[in-house]
Amino acid sequence: MSARTQPAPVVIVGGGLAGLTAAHALRHHGIPFRLFEASDRLAGLARSFRDADGFSHDFGAHFITNRLAAALGMGAECRTVQHYGEVVRLGGEDISYPLGLLGVPRFDLSAAWTRLRDAVRSTASPNDAATWFRHNFGRALADEVALPLLEAWSGQAAERLAPAVGEKLPGGLLETLWLKLAGRLTDRAVAIGYCGALPQSASVWHVYPEHGVGAICARLAEGLDDAVTLGTRVQRIRVEGGRAVSVRVEDDELPVSAVISTAPIHVLPRLVEGTDALERFARFRFRPMILANLNLEGRHLLSDTVVWLPERGFASYRVTEAPISMPWLAPEGKTTLTVDIGCEVGDDWWTASDAAIAARCLEDIAPLVPDAARRHRSHRVLRTPIGYPLFMRDYESDRLRLAIDGTGVDNLLSVGRNGAFDHLLMEDVYCRTLAQVQPLIDELLPAVRAA
Amino acid sequence: MNVPSEQTPTASTLSAGGLPIEEVDCPLCGRDDAEPIAVGEDFEYHTTRDSWRMVRCRRCRLLYLNPRPAPAALDAIYPDDYHAFAFEPARFGLIHAVRTRLEARRLRRWCRGLPKRARVVDVGCGDGFHLQILRRYGRPGWQLEGVDPSPRAVTAARRAGLNIHAGTVEQVGLPPASYDLALMIMTLEHVPDPLASLAAVRRALKPRGRLVVVTDNADTLDFRLFGRRHWGGYHFPRHFHLFDAATLGATAAAAGFGVRRAETAVSPINAMYSLRNLLVDLGAPAKVHDRLTLDSPVGLGLFTVLDALQAARGEGSVLCATLERSGRGRVLRGRFGGAR
Ligand SMILES: Cc1cc2nc3c(=O)[nH]c(=O)nc-3n(C[C@H](O)[C@H](O)[C@H](O)COP(=O)(O)OP(=O)(O)OC[C@H]3O[C@@H](n4cnc5c(N)ncnc54)[C@H](O)[C@@H]3O)c2cc1C
Ligand SMILES: [Zn+2]
Repeated sequence: MSARTQPAPVVIVGGGLAGLTAAHALRHHGIPFRLFEASDRLAGLARSFRDADGFSHDFGAHFITNRLAAALGMGAECRTVQHYGEVVRLGGEDISYPLGLLGVPRFDLSAAWTRLRDAVRSTASPNDAATWFRHNFGRALADEVALPLLEAWSGQAAERLAPAVGEKLPGGLLETLWLKLAGRLTDRAVAIGYCGALPQSASVWHVYPEHGVGAICARLAEGLDDAVTLGTRVQRIRVEGGRAVSVRVEDDELPVSAVISTAPIHVLPRLVEGTDALERFARFRFRPMILANLNLEGRHLLSDTVVWLPERGFASYRVTEAPISMPWLAPEGKTTLTVDIGCEVGDDWWTASDAAIAARCLEDIAPLVPDAARRHRSHRVLRTPIGYPLFMRDYESDRLRLAIDGTGVDNLLSVGRNGAFDHLLMEDVYCRTLAQVQPLIDELLPAVRAA
Repeated sequence: MNVPSEQTPTASTLSAGGLPIEEVDCPLCGRDDAEPIAVGEDFEYHTTRDSWRMVRCRRCRLLYLNPRPAPAALDAIYPDDYHAFAFEPARFGLIHAVRTRLEARRLRRWCRGLPKRARVVDVGCGDGFHLQILRRYGRPGWQLEGVDPSPRAVTAARRAGLNIHAGTVEQVGLPPASYDLALMIMTLEHVPDPLASLAAVRRALKPRGRLVVVTDNADTLDFRLFGRRHWGGYHFPRHFHLFDAATLGATAAAAGFGVRRAETAVSPINAMYSLRNLLVDLGAPAKVHDRLTLDSPVGLGLFTVLDALQAARGEGSVLCATLERSGRGRVLRGRFGGAR
């Protein structure tokens, strides 16, 4: 092979935000690639649904930041989210998160007591989520709020989860106070605890693209048609001598110079042949989720955008009224409540009909919206088997190794929310993917320039 | 002659606001690995509804706009009343007079030691403000020329009887090794490829010729206070890169220049516009922020005093560097010295 021929393409597995971010970066540098998306459309979890009756639905209350919009040249087509707030429902009362919880004396007392005790009795750093929350929040707040939510969300006992679940929570109190205040003053939902890769500030707030959050994927995909193939699953990734050498698509073997996978990490071992370096990821698990979008008459049915439901009486752990933050998602005078149900693939939630799920959810939220059933007009139920990565203690060390050492195959990257196995929101997916792809670009660029 | 550069911008696309934009690698070191530090809009002229992102190169620390308006967008982002095209005595009265005095003093200093028949070129001359000062206060034998790509600026400058090369300095093909002094006053931050522009200027200079670069200083108190969004120096989306002492030194060195003298000087503009941009962004009534514009003596006076305090600490709002073609000067790192 002469030095002048183009190197084999990089193959990108998946056309969600991560795959398209990688594709966009490779195209910028003139590095040849092919992107394969198994489904018949781009965007993956960032897909937006539009119903004929004027309701839009995303996977949850999706929004991005003005900073990500600016990176993509999309600022002018994004609307400012003016307000975003969360409350915790306790004993029939909605307490604002996180500041309102500070005003509850029993939480403060218990937190102060824990601090004092742990200061005197130097304890080992916690190695499960239950201990972590009790240590950091105090027993009362942990046992009444944090741990019940964690368990409903994950379907696991908090003792079996790694402390990293908690470490994801937003930083300092003073900073939070300042950002909340700045949001009030500017009428912008200042992003708090949204993006881990970049600093937060009063100048970074939430926005929503006119044509749905999926528009950011469409934007990244502009001009890439020649390299993107929809409806095509990558069936195999062949590894020889510790390097990915080819992939199988539509029963053809395609030589590659590298592979960037955005497929869920736990399926990657099944795709890869020629090494067992990835076997340790096969036991990583995701929590399947049902998001029941209930379209109702009325607006502002909840006291804030998100209501957390730690009390045992609820089947759901969270209800969201996205139109409180983004009024344009529903026609005037109407709204959508999204009820999140953690479940398992094949259980009776998962297999229930959409109508049955909607009916059960309406009943579940009756304590919040007593006449919900009467207001109900229509619904759209979304199911995803890969709602959230679960940080189980069993495989915590392997998870950390994935973050530090990668997949164990040099030119096989596993990126994106499911590929990196992290609770990443969209701006983080964008930043982290760019950072992860950078060394690959550095490696391939000389050969591409020479060709 | 067009200088081929390392830059490989991707084919330009249209922003959501309908402006041709391009994504670029670091204009100084060529790497594409930068951290966003600010997001903002065109608070001053409202030429687009787009928002813009200033990033800092993780390798060389240069600040640059990315993505940025593509060449085809330049007409749209420089409106007819852009200040560099239309700094007219009639409109700016007293301010014009004061500014002329101050600039004349600076220019005379930069021209010190020029021969009787020196040839001087002002790159990015706008409507010819500085050339006119040189014509008035300089020596009669000096041959004064300007370069500017904006047809509006060229027309205004020619109407004033100046000799102008229309186009970018890379395009116009100045005669090689011909000039004793080149000026780039508030120009470097606007050009798409600073290394290519500097290289073109360097070729045009005589072997012992000098280049004076004046540009916004991104190492100031107002930058630290307003740098996440409202800082006046961003001038979204018209400033493509911004420098501090270190990155300006590195840019000069990369273009083959030596730094002979470097300092910071007083300017009220960035601090005043930082405050104005904040007020505009928060929707303050025009009555309030109108006090903070180029034609407001009170605002200019106040912020001049404030910036003078900064300049005394070596943190004035503008960087002034005298570069020499020889390339033997040293590259300065860290802070520039105080003014004078
Ligand atoms: C319930 C929920 C709520 C969320 N809320 C927010 C929010 O409010 N704000 C926010 O910013 N983010 C939010 N997120 C996160 C955001 O949606 C994701 O981080 C982001 O969309 C993930 O992009 P990705 O490319 O990593 O993965 P995905 O979008 O899952 O893309 C992976 C793609 O790969 C394809 N694929 C998989 N295997 C193969 C194969 N073998 N061959 C070919 N193609 C394959 C899939 O079909 C899919 O299209 C939320 C996520 C969830 C689940
Ligand atoms: Zn750089």
